[in-house]
Amino acid sequence: MSNAFLAHLGRAYVGLILFFLYAPILVMAAMSFNASEFYQLPFSFTTDWYAKLAGNREILSAAWRSVWIAVIVTAIATSLGTAASIALFRYDFPGKRVLQVLLFPPIAIPWLITGTAMLIFFFGIGLGRGTPAVILGHVALALPYVIVVVSARLTSFDRTLEEAARSLGASPWQITRAVTVPWILPGIIAGGLFAFAVSFDQFVVSYFLSEPGDSTLPVLIYTSIRKGFTPEINAISTIIIAVSMGIMLLAARYSNFGGER
Amino acid sequence: MAMVRVEHLVKTYGAARALDDVTLEFPDGGFFGLLGPSGSGKTTLLRAIAGFVLPETGRVFIDDEPVENVPVEKRGIGMVFQNYALFPNMTVAENVAFGLAVRKVTEAEKKRRVAEALELVQLAAFGARKPHQLSGGQRQRVAMARAIVTQPRVLLLDEPLSALDKALRVDMQIELKRIQREIGITTIFVTHDQEEALTLSDRIGILKDGRLIRHGPPREVYDDPQDSFTATFLGDARIFSGTVEAGGLRLADGTLVPGVRTPTVAVRPENLHLSVAEPDLPCRLQARLGQKIFGGALGTCLLDWRGEVIKVLGRDADFRDLPESGPVWVGWRPEHSIQMSG
Amino acid sequence: MATTIAGQDRLRAVTLLSPAYLWLTVAVFLPLSAMAFFSFLSDVPFGGRDWHVTLDNYRAFFETTTYATLLWKSLKLGLIVTAVSVIVGFPCAWVLAKVVKGRSREALFLLVILPFWSNSLVRIFSWAIVLRGNGVLDRAVNAVLPWDVKLNLMFSPTAIVIGLVHSYLPYVILTSYLALQAIDDSLIEAARSLGAKRRTILWRLILPLSAPGIIAGAVLIFVPVVGSFMEPRLLGGRLGTYYGTVIEDQFVAVFNWPLGAALSFILLAVVLAILAAASPILKRART
Repeated sequence: MSNAFLAHLGRAYVGLILFFLYAPILVMAAMSFNASEFYQLPFSFTTDWYAKLAGNREILSAAWRSVWIAVIVTAIATSLGTAASIALFRYDFPGKRVLQVLLFPPIAIPWLITGTAMLIFFFGIGLGRGTPAVILGHVALALPYVIVVVSARLTSFDRTLEEAARSLGASPWQITRAVTVPWILPGIIAGGLFAFAVSFDQFVVSYFLSEPGDSTLPVLIYTSIRKGFTPEINAISTIIIAVSMGIMLLAARYSNFGGER
Repeated sequence: MAMVRVEHLVKTYGAARALDDVTLEFPDGGFFGLLGPSGSGKTTLLRAIAGFVLPETGRVFIDDEPVENVPVEKRGIGMVFQNYALFPNMTVAENVAFGLAVRKVTEAEKKRRVAEALELVQLAAFGARKPHQLSGGQRQRVAMARAIVTQPRVLLLDEPLSALDKALRVDMQIELKRIQREIGITTIFVTHDQEEALTLSDRIGILKDGRLIRHGPPREVYDDPQDSFTATFLGDARIFSGTVEAGGLRLADGTLVPGVRTPTVAVRPENLHLSVAEPDLPCRLQARLGQKIFGGALGTCLLDWRGEVIKVLGRDADFRDLPESGPVWVGWRPEHSIQMSG
Repeated sequence: MATTIAGQDRLRAVTLLSPAYLWLTVAVFLPLSAMAFFSFLSDVPFGGRDWHVTLDNYRAFFETTTYATLLWKSLKLGLIVTAVSVIVGFPCAWVLAKVVKGRSREALFLLVILPFWSNSLVRIFSWAIVLRGNGVLDRAVNAVLPWDVKLNLMFSPTAIVIGLVHSYLPYVILTSYLALQAIDDSLIEAARSLGAKRRTILWRLILPLSAPGIIAGAVLIFVPVVGSFMEPRLLGGRLGTYYGTVIEDQFVAVFNWPLGAALSFILLAVVLAILAAASPILKRART
């Protein structure tokens, strides 16, 4: 077999993988424009389901709740995470390794366990279910991602820049504002987008922590699916996929994914 | 008067002593070169004066004020870093203005002083450029301008020229010296390049394994290194050991080096003379010529003396008449015998 | 001496770090401890219920085979999904890292990773639409093949595996890609100049060098799959009872929280054991 043939075969294989990854999503999107309520073919184009969606107060309010929870979570997780990343980068102290290792349980432990544990604890301290509990949980899940992404950006930061600023008389806060943050800004933006995605797409933890009738969009979709599919769900799902993919494309631009810069 | 003074500084990293009881004075307005091999503690000493390194014991004075408990940003220092550490997100003018901005200097005053500083380093026209648009030498000048614009009490240079190529380095040495003279600032700089240290400094200090071995004016230290480490580190030297007798030092091959009262003696290769016939010099020994190396105006001869190498430097013309190999005499004048105390 | 400066620095570090870590403590570490505590209770300790400390919840796990069987079923599911993902994903990572060059590589890589960061629930839902009886896949297959087939994959273990592979495949592609990219092309050229065949290069050079990346990806897939409950529910129907769905039931249907906590805690122990075993390799894969 020639190398050129193998290369073509390889590209075809990647194409197959992409087909596997995207075909169901595209089918779902197509069905949201199909007139048949039971996904029957032949395909006939309609935007009825989106129109219906616009009138569905339950879905709209859940969507709106998901968005503003994600915005709050992003703001909190990004600022706390950036502060922690800078401290982990700038200072040396005993126990620093431990703090870095502690970031991994929230990422590595299945959300089912984290979610149920949060439910138990929040009930134990009298907080119970509801939006505050959801925000508390989402921030905790998003924080490690922010710290990992911002810290990754900091590794390319030249430490002597901070030293130079100090030698010129700048206080730690002035250094952070004028030298450090401008450099890690792409990392902060990428970390923020990750945080938004973790919260906006979060199903498992929201599922255990949100109050019935006061749920986020993914939870509402889950409970609706279990009652039976409707193209309306296709429509909102299509919107969600489009939004979260758009956000991740932005994040990829800011976190040096392709290695440019 | 000493602008900077350190007393009994000790800094350890694990088991390694980066600074081992270092006491040293840096005279006001002087250009002081700290010299030593890598790991000798020279950079640690500089960073301890700056405040980036906090020694376990010992004292640091700037302008007679103890500064051990003063953070870097309040010590009133200017520093030039090895890689210049120019802020990539700011223009040249903003970089230079940074130290003034954090001191809340008025806008007009800031502008005037930045222009002055850029003028001094001959970069008046480059204020609007970003660091990545500058050449290595220009970056070095910006780093200088940024460090001195705040009128620090002391200027610290960490291997300031090591990132430049050789030709540029020589130009910048002259430039550095000119700027330092013009503003008369006490300057301490770290280098591993002995030639650079000898050219720039009016005093040098030599460190080894965290200890200060020797300090003083460069010529004094060069002419009388006193110990074999200094002799070989600062310039080149051939060390001979033997036993001290009434008449001088008796070497292993029986040669007597007259006038030497120490068990070791060093001779600089440029002070050695080669001849086929026995020379009329009181200090002389016999060796075999191993190799002649042509180096343009100057040449090098490598001799074999009892299985060891002796290097002789001289004008190529002096070596032209020598045979390619064979027995030769090496001689030197008694005043070029450097007696070693350690 | 110099303690005041060191002290100020420590204070600044604490100020910057404590908000984030306090948050993690309240929302992750204390809850996990609370769960451990709960798993030893007879009933929830609020709402005026009677409760006492007991080992009954763990006894329930070990006395009947029900839960252990389900845990084993979930572990098997994890193994199958992981194996399929590695076998399917590694060649894809290889092509991306070593065959495709330049800008198209970055674009393709991004396309592969992108679905991973989109909503997993929605992606599982999209499979439900594709796989359902008389659905898109059925019709597509029947349009191509001359004879009549009834695939009806929906509500089968196969559907669950397909959905989970779809969810987690990008993980192993990502980690393998990073490991493969780190292999210097000149190593492969050197091996070829020494006369090594393609197969030899693969087994003796590429697989050993990219093993940390593959194992990292495998662990990152295995752990969440063992704890999955939404995917089996939506794609498995009545067959979709797994360890994760039983835990879910304890919290949202049966309301036996102490039992749920014990089951969660056993799962956590299994997960931590796997992570601990893999951590030296994971550490290497990160560099």
